[in-house]
Amino acid sequence: MKKIKYTARIKRYNPEEDRSYYQDFEVEVEDSLTVLELLMYIKDKIDPTLTFRAFCRSAICGSCAMIINNRAGLACKIQAKDKIKNGVIKIEPLKTLKPIRDLVVDQEPAFEKLKKIKPYLEPDPKVVPDNLKSESLVLPEEFARYDKQTDCILCMACYGQCNALKGDSEYLGPFQLTKVFRFIMDTRDGVDVEERIKLAEDHGIWECVQCQMCFAACPKGISSCDDILELRRIAKDVGEENIATRRAKFWFATVFETGQIDKLHLPEVAFSDEKGKKIRENMEKEFKQRGLREDEFGPKPFEGIEKFRNFIKKIEKEL
Amino acid sequence: MKKIGIYPGCCFQGADIHNYDITTQFLEHMGVEGVLLDRAACCGGGVIDETNKKIVYGLNARNIALAEEKGVDLYTPCNTCYMIIAKTKLALDSDPELKKKINEILAEEGLEYKGTAKIYHTLNLIRDFVGLDEYKKKIKRQISGVKVAPYYGCHVLAPNEVAIDDPENPTILKEVLEPLGVEVVEGYKDEDTCCGYHARFTEPEQKERLAIKPLDGAKEAGADIVATPCPLCHKAMDGYDEPILQVTQLINVACGSTPEEAGINLNKTEVKLSL
Repeated sequence: MKKIKYTARIKRYNPEEDRSYYQDFEVEVEDSLTVLELLMYIKDKIDPTLTFRAFCRSAICGSCAMIINNRAGLACKIQAKDKIKNGVIKIEPLKTLKPIRDLVVDQEPAFEKLKKIKPYLEPDPKVVPDNLKSESLVLPEEFARYDKQTDCILCMACYGQCNALKGDSEYLGPFQLTKVFRFIMDTRDGVDVEERIKLAEDHGIWECVQCQMCFAACPKGISSCDDILELRRIAKDVGEENIATRRAKFWFATVFETGQIDKLHLPEVAFSDEKGKKIRENMEKEFKQRGLREDEFGPKPFEGIEKFRNFIKKIEKEL
Repeated sequence: MKKIGIYPGCCFQGADIHNYDITTQFLEHMGVEGVLLDRAACCGGGVIDETNKKIVYGLNARNIALAEEKGVDLYTPCNTCYMIIAKTKLALDSDPELKKKINEILAEEGLEYKGTAKIYHTLNLIRDFVGLDEYKKKIKRQISGVKVAPYYGCHVLAPNEVAIDDPENPTILKEVLEPLGVEVVEGYKDEDTCCGYHARFTEPEQKERLAIKPLDGAKEAGADIVATPCPLCHKAMDGYDEPILQVTQLINVACGSTPEEAGINLNKTEVKLSL
C-alpha cells in the first residue's frame, strides 16, 4: 500500500476556554484511509485529546457527519486522498450546530425540531387492521413514493450545511421536513394531511431557499429540497392561501399562457396588498424612464403558443 | 464564427430586460454568435414543481430540443436556469423510458430531444467553449485598483452532479476575474452563503436576512465590489451598502464596452470603476 504525506487541518473547539481554532496535523499514512480512519490515526498516534463522534464505520449509524473541505458528509464514507487540496484536507464540525468539543456538535436542537413534526406514524384505522394477525399491506408503487426518504439515517449532514438555517436559526431543517413528506406519503398514516402540513409551516417549508446543499450533503442521496417543493405543492392543493401559493399558481398560469413568468405582475399577485401594487407601479415608471415600449413590460406569447399549451397539457396528463 | 443558443429565461425580462443586452454584448466580445431560442419557455424556476414536477422535465426537454433543432448548444447566464436544465438533461440521459415518453409528446410540435446539445453557463462557456487563453486575448483594457470578491451563488456548485467546477474548492471565477486586472479577494465570511433569492416570494424576510451576509463579509474583507455570474444573485443582493455586479458586466467593460453599455448605471448601489 502506498503511503502519502499531507496536512490535516482540523477545526477544534475547547469548551473550557470557549475557543475555536485550527490545528494542523502532519501525517504520513496509507492512501486508502477514509477521513474517519485518518481521525482515528491522529487520535491514536498524535493527539489523544482529539474528539469526534463515530461508530459503525459503514455509513449506517450516521454518527460521523462533519464538514470535509467545505462540504458536509460522513467521515467514514469519504476517502481522505480524494479530498486533499494543495496538500491539505480541511475538517470542521457541522456548521449550524454548536460544538461541544472539537468535531462533536450538540445535536439536541435538531432532534427537538424533529420531535415537533410528529416523526412517527399514527395508524389510520381504515387501512391498518386492529389485530396482530392480519398485515397492513403497502403496494410497491405506494412505497415507491417515499422509499428513498426512509433511507434517512439522521446524520444531520444536510442540517449542518443548510442555508435557510443561516437566515433563521429556528428553521425546522431539511431532514425534519423530509420526514413530514415521508409520513404524508405513507398510506398507513392516519394524521390529516392538513395537520402534517401545519407542522411543516412554522419556520418551515416557506423559508427554504432551494440552494440544493442538503441534496449535495446527503450520503443517501435524499433530496430534501425536492421534498420541500412537494410539501409546498401539497399545501397549495389542500387550499393553503399565502404569498407562496399565490406565486405558484400565478407562475404556472402565466407560463402556460405565454411561455414565461410575468414578473411585472408577480409581486402584485403574490403580495396581494398595496405593497405589491406599488412595486408594479414603480416598475412601470422605471420602464418608461428607461424608454421601454409597453409591449416590452411583460412576456408575450411566442409563435406557436397553442402547440406549447397542448404540450404542457399532455405532459400533465400522460407523463 | 462559433454559434451558441441563447436561452431566454426570466432574467431577460421586465425589470431585468438589460440582462439580455449584457449577454449578447458579452457573446459578441467573445467572438461567439448568439442564436436566440425564441420559442423557449421558463425552466420552471423551482416553482413549477409546486404545480407538477413532471412539467419541469417537459419544459426543459423542449428547451434543449429547441437548441438541438438549430444545431447549437444551450447557453444561459442564470445559475438557476443552468442547474434546472442540466438536472433535466441528466435525468433524460439516464432514463430512456422518460426520454421516450417525452419525445412522443414533443413529436407533435415537430421536436425531438436527442441529448446532443451541451448546457453552458457563463463560467463553463468561457473555460470550455471559448477557452481561457482565447478569453484572455479578448480583454482590451484593465480594470485596475478595484478589489473584487467572487460570489459563485449556489446553483453552479450544487448539486454536485451538475457543478461546473470542483464544488469544494472552485477556482473558475477567480480565473475569469484575474485577467480583467482586478484584485481578487477570496476566503471572506459567508462567501458560500446563499443570496436568498428564491425566498423572495415565499418568505421575503428570509431573503433580506441572507442577501446581506455575503455582502457584509466581502466588505469586511476589504472588497470594493462583489462579482457574481448569476443575474438572480445580482438582483437579490443589489441595493445594499456593498455593491454587486455581474461578472459579464465587468468582462464587457474590460473588452471595451462603456460602463453605461454594460448596464452598470442601472445598479441600485452605485459602482465606480477606474479605467
